[in-house]
Amino acid sequence: MRLLIVSTLPEEDPEARQVIGTLRAKAEECRVIMAREIRPCSGCNACWLVTPGICSIRDGYEEILKAYLQYDATVFVCGTALGFAEYRMKNVIDRMLPLVTMLLTVKDGQMRHVMRYKKQLRWGLVYTGEADETYMNRWMERVMVNAGGVCLGAFSASRVQEVPV
Amino acid sequence: MKLTVISGAARARSKSNTALILENFCRGYEAEGNQTQTFYLSDRNQWEAARAAFDASDNLLIALPLYVENLPGLLLEFLGTLTPKRTPGAKLAFLVQGGFPEASQLRCCEEYLETLPARLGCIYGGTLIKGNMFFLRLLSDKQQEELRMFETMGKRFAQLGRFDKDEVTLFAAPEYMPETALKVFRGPGKFFQRLVMNAISRKMGGRGNLEARPYKDGE
Repeated sequence: MRLLIVSTLPEEDPEARQVIGTLRAKAEECRVIMAREIRPCSGCNACWLVTPGICSIRDGYEEILKAYLQYDATVFVCGTALGFAEYRMKNVIDRMLPLVTMLLTVKDGQMRHVMRYKKQLRWGLVYTGEADETYMNRWMERVMVNAGGVCLGAFSASRVQEVPV
Repeated sequence: MKLTVISGAARARSKSNTALILENFCRGYEAEGNQTQTFYLSDRNQWEAARAAFDASDNLLIALPLYVENLPGLLLEFLGTLTPKRTPGAKLAFLVQGGFPEASQLRCCEEYLETLPARLGCIYGGTLIKGNMFFLRLLSDKQQEELRMFETMGKRFAQLGRFDKDEVTLFAAPEYMPETALKVFRGPGKFFQRLVMNAISRKMGGRGNLEARPYKDGE
């Protein structure tokens, strides 16, 4: 498996090194992108309606968008705050909007965005710190339902070995 | 009674659907002599004042657009800078609006919000949810009269001091789109939405195909 890791933990964080090292060992090929400086989505809708598929914020996120499409799976690695993924990771995930179009379709009785690319995304999450793992899984499931992809699950760092990559 | 309102929308106030909703909601809240004060996190110059207002207030409402099934990163960043309250009794409620029409699309976020006030030293005051809000800024003045429903909910919030879950479920309906509506959407609606979206795109200065794939598809 060709694995993309997108991490918002500090590069020198021992827990981050351990998590990334474990994931790296499970993959045939692995690319790690450190993404601590990704800016929040501004909600401008340009990626849907003005320059379809291209984000108006120029902060290096384009490389991550391209990488999502080139790797078999993506695992996000982050810290937590207030019992949820910390804001840096939420910024990264909020910025996925160029991957979907503005157009809607119906799937399993609910409205969904039409995906921009044929590539089926496979995303998972590993987090350090305190959060309700059941809820984190529910959230990742929902993210992937609306991204037309496959959820690999959400795992606390102590269970990184279980990530199915 | 004074209500401190914090808008977690990333869009500037002049372009924000959340701000438009809040204008109506706050009008309703103020109808019987109450007061509101609103801070907009899209303007980072307001963060310090918003933090001070959070510290000083025991009646709080945070409003937000749904961003990928949960709070926008910008709002999470702000919340991370708050010091949890040490004195019990402050109440924190939420107003969440989303683009999809079904209330069910907002429930995952609502579930998290039910847990958030305790982490900030507050009591949970309920969450008002409403979908189908994507086009608010594109509606005519007459169509925007529908936003008066938020004024009604503002009045109700002032009366009850919280959001009642059953009332919110009625307000947020439909939970799921009825099959008849889905059938229309799968048929003629499919083509109609393309016409509408293309028209909006052109109006915004859009170029090219809405389904363009600017990057190599790794299918």
